[in-house]
Amino acid sequence: MPVADSGPLAELDERALVDACLAQRAGAFDLIVERHRRAVYQLCYRFVGHHEDASDLSQDVFLRAYRGLHSFRGQSTLATWLYRIGVNVCLNRVSAKTTLGKLTEPIAERQFVDVHAESPSERVLKHERGARVRAAIARLPRKQRATLILRMYHEMSHQEIADVLGSSVGAVKANFFHALANLKKLLGETI
Amino acid sequence: MHLNTDELVDIAEGTRTEASAPHLGVCEPCRARLHELRAMLSAARDVHVPEPSPLFWDHLSSRVSDAVAAEGAPRSAWLDVTAWHRLLTPAWAVTASLVVIVALSSRLMAPQPPAATLNGSPYTAAPPPPPPLAAVIADTSTGTDVLGDAASDDASLMLVASLTSALDLDAASDAGLAPSGSAEHAVTHMSDSELRELGRLLKEELARSGA
Repeated sequence: MPVADSGPLAELDERALVDACLAQRAGAFDLIVERHRRAVYQLCYRFVGHHEDASDLSQDVFLRAYRGLHSFRGQSTLATWLYRIGVNVCLNRVSAKTTLGKLTEPIAERQFVDVHAESPSERVLKHERGARVRAAIARLPRKQRATLILRMYHEMSHQEIADVLGSSVGAVKANFFHALANLKKLLGETI
Repeated sequence: MHLNTDELVDIAEGTRTEASAPHLGVCEPCRARLHELRAMLSAARDVHVPEPSPLFWDHLSSRVSDAVAAEGAPRSAWLDVTAWHRLLTPAWAVTASLVVIVALSSRLMAPQPPAATLNGSPYTAAPPPPPPLAAVIADTSTGTDVLGDAASDDASLMLVASLTSALDLDAASDAGLAPSGSAEHAVTHMSDSELRELGRLLKEELARSGA
């Protein structure tokens, strides 16, 4: 009996879990979603800055991953593979123009639960500063934006980012450098 | 010489020490760039993703589950239409190019018939019509000699046939003619059933395009 057909799903490694999905074992893909949904959602949110859009994009990422499961060869981690799909989905779907209009998502609509003990004024200032930085990131060229998001918020190494973006480590570092330099230009002295 | 982007990024991220770049001690522009990089890293680091409601995660999972259920079973590589389009587009382009090359060379290298005189006025006898292109590639699906009978009465086709008959696919691959990952490589490494299916699709495409 193949590994993918035996034992609890939670004990399967990534490759076996993917094989279990391809063998249509019940719950296998649900487990992949459960393990990676937060990271995928956060990636999408970083690109669009809006909960509803990030939610839709996350669903799209998982659906595309499901359709393309047979092409997962295990040469990278499942997370890296999902990031690659996520970056493509986000870059293809999102234009800076549509994003900028929504980056000022009203505080009342946000589901943010701030557990830190901040004063209301500090919280507002921090939110405004964050909104400005997010808006500036959304105006970066596509590869610079993707590089900055993956490096800053998903703690990926330069090599992993190069794998996701299909480029070299040198190109990733150059993109990262220019992303930060452009961020400085866009934000000016406001930060 | 100023620090390059790699060095500045490494120092700003802390994977390399300032002490390893003595140039920083004497170059104000490089120090300013490093300061800006660090300031932007700090500003970007402070932007957090709002945490959705705890109920959101299960909601997302069920949305994905519904979408996947509507999708059906994950497609195998064999049935992946997108993959076939990726494969067939270059394969079709290569096939079409070969057909055009063979057809053109056939016309250019065809022997000219001797000039004749009829009733005192010179005329040129019309050469026999070339074989239909469809006949030339008709046998691609079976993997038999692609040129077939068409080669036997055409010098250019005979030349192509004699050259390709001695061509070993592995040797062609080693020579870089069909690198791994290319359409040619994929086509030459297909199973019999895959070759039959490819032939069927090519014939359909030929019939559809009226070739």
